[in-house]
Amino acid sequence: MSYSLATLWYERQRYLPGVLAVGFSCLLIALQCGLLLGLFSITSIPIDESGADIWIGHPEVPSVDLGRPIPDKWMSFLAQPEVEIIEPFMEGFGYWVKPTGGMELVLIIGSQLGPGAIGPVRQLTAEHRTLLSEEMSVVVDEGEFGRLGITKIGATAEVIGRQVRVVGTVRGLKSLAGPYLFCSLHTAKQLLRPPADQVTFILGKCYKKEDAQKVVDRLQAYPHKISAFTSDGFSLRSRLHWLLKTKAGIALGLAAALGLLVGAVVTYQTLYAATAASLKEYAVLRALGIPRWRMALTVLAQSFWVGLFGICLAVPFILILATVGNDAGAKVLLPWWLWTGAITVTMTTALVSGLLALRSLRLVEPATLLR
Amino acid sequence: MATADRYNTCFVDLQTHPKGLSMYNDGNGVIPTLRAWGLTKTFGAGDVMTTALRDVSIELYPGQLSLLMGPSGSGKSTLLAALSGLLRPDSGRVLCLEHDIWALSEKQREHFRLKHCGFIFQGYNLFPALTARQQLEMVLRWSGISGWREARQRTDAILDLLGLSKKAKLRPNQLSGGEKQRVAIGRALIKEPSFCFADEPTAALDWKHGEQVIELLRAAAHDGGATILVVAHDSRLIPHVDRVFHLEDGVLVEGIERPLSLVAGDTAVAAEY
Ligand SMILES: Nc1ncnc2c1ncn2[C@@H]1O[C@H](COP(=O)(O)OP(=O)(O)OP(=O)(O)O)[C@@H](O)[C@H]1O
Ligand SMILES: [Mg+2]
Repeated sequence: MSYSLATLWYERQRYLPGVLAVGFSCLLIALQCGLLLGLFSITSIPIDESGADIWIGHPEVPSVDLGRPIPDKWMSFLAQPEVEIIEPFMEGFGYWVKPTGGMELVLIIGSQLGPGAIGPVRQLTAEHRTLLSEEMSVVVDEGEFGRLGITKIGATAEVIGRQVRVVGTVRGLKSLAGPYLFCSLHTAKQLLRPPADQVTFILGKCYKKEDAQKVVDRLQAYPHKISAFTSDGFSLRSRLHWLLKTKAGIALGLAAALGLLVGAVVTYQTLYAATAASLKEYAVLRALGIPRWRMALTVLAQSFWVGLFGICLAVPFILILATVGNDAGAKVLLPWWLWTGAITVTMTTALVSGLLALRSLRLVEPATLLR
Repeated sequence: MATADRYNTCFVDLQTHPKGLSMYNDGNGVIPTLRAWGLTKTFGAGDVMTTALRDVSIELYPGQLSLLMGPSGSGKSTLLAALSGLLRPDSGRVLCLEHDIWALSEKQREHFRLKHCGFIFQGYNLFPALTARQQLEMVLRWSGISGWREARQRTDAILDLLGLSKKAKLRPNQLSGGEKQRVAIGRALIKEPSFCFADEPTAALDWKHGEQVIELLRAAAHDGGATILVVAHDSRLIPHVDRVFHLEDGVLVEGIERPLSLVAGDTAVAAEY
């Protein structure tokens, strides 16, 4: 190990391209994933902006916008000592017939609206909540007017055969699949017409937010087929679902693979050339009877160091660029598991390059030293 | 045949000597550590075929420094490679310490070299990134001969012996040619091998340093009991060695410059090893 490190340091000019390539791969992967995670964070807005700590849904629910009906008597599951508030929650897709003609997919979000309600997003003011208690009234994001084909508050449109009225607007609640229609639980039921006594989610709020995980673990251990998540867990699940489901996931995968490939090829070339430059020295050791695996281990150790230095170089740049991106309005999210993943993948690439570079050791032939 | 005739007039031809190969193996019971006979090696085929070795036989004894001379292209390096287990001859056998080198498997041969062989090649072939001490230590540690602590002690001891104590921390580009060659010698001898094969270790050095190198090798043979075969062109080295061989056109003859009888005393001492 120490010989490979000494070599790496002494011949750093030679190894620099490999280190840079590895660092670049790591940077590319982390930032791209971080950007997409940020982009897809809009898919979990109904979770992130609500006051709920615990979400209970259908056992196969993939994300917040793809909820399926569950019996509202599941609310009794949340009758736990740590839980303070329990609420039903309705959500589902519908078609919005634009007054200007044409249709638009919308996501109907219905929750209770009382002063202590945990279902509505924070952006709904007390005034909104009062207005929404009127049947068939909805609040939309002001940025969605174009998509909805309306121009002002008070506009009406048809949703799933019923007339709804826009009574207010919020800001910053963009959506991916279709604009959100925030409304009361009652209105949502009128529009979505679920089977009797069925809702989409059951929400809970704990006295202490930290207890949510404990309650969720307890619920998961029940023999009943339900899905229980903390709000953070469900948020991540929703984002990942969309990330993987949409083409963006594939695009990300391709770009990341390309970055890794470039990193791998440059690292391989670097290690191969470095080993080839020492063929004579290795040949002497071979003549002295030192087994080939010792040299293989040295090459692998070099690939490890190249990987490590590359990652160490990348980390500050990732942090700086993420900050710059966030300041510029692009959301870059870097959760700890993204760091772990990016580092693991990069390190693996470096080691695989090292494994491939072992080929050069086949050129070691001690007899060529005697001429 | 003309060549052989010419040699017969001034050299003892091993093949035609009445007592044959065992001429030195009588009386005082000295057993050769290396015996080879019938070694032949050709390269290429047809028009470009060169015969590097023609039916070469040789015996080497412990505690002796032997010099192998001959014109360029005569097959000296090839002979060294065949004797040391690096290049398989077309025919012939090599017995080193009673191991039939070319009947061993590749792995066994490698293990034999690990245990018993040291090499000095033309050019120094030192790792540019490592210090003199690391170059030597590496051999001991990687061959599993000794642990970290012992490797350091043995390395420092041999660096001292080579007069390189002050240069232990220097890298090859900070060492002179002679110093680099001494490091290479150290690398060959640090395992305390039974055999040491050196291909033109003095070629790149001036006479003073060449002499120094050959003296170091002689000490390794006489004091350490190693069997050492050195290829060199410089006839000024002859007084420093125990035996001289001449190779011409792939035919080996022993020179009479240093007939073994002159150094019989050394041989007897060496027999104790
Ligand atoms: N791998 C090879 N392929 C073809 N021919 C070879 C090979 N190795 C050696 N030869 C030939 O064998 C002959 C002997 O070579 P060798 O290297 O043993 O000579 P040498 O005595 O060491 O010469 P020098 O003093 O120049 O080093 C030469 O004619 C050389 O061209
Ligand atoms: Mg040669």
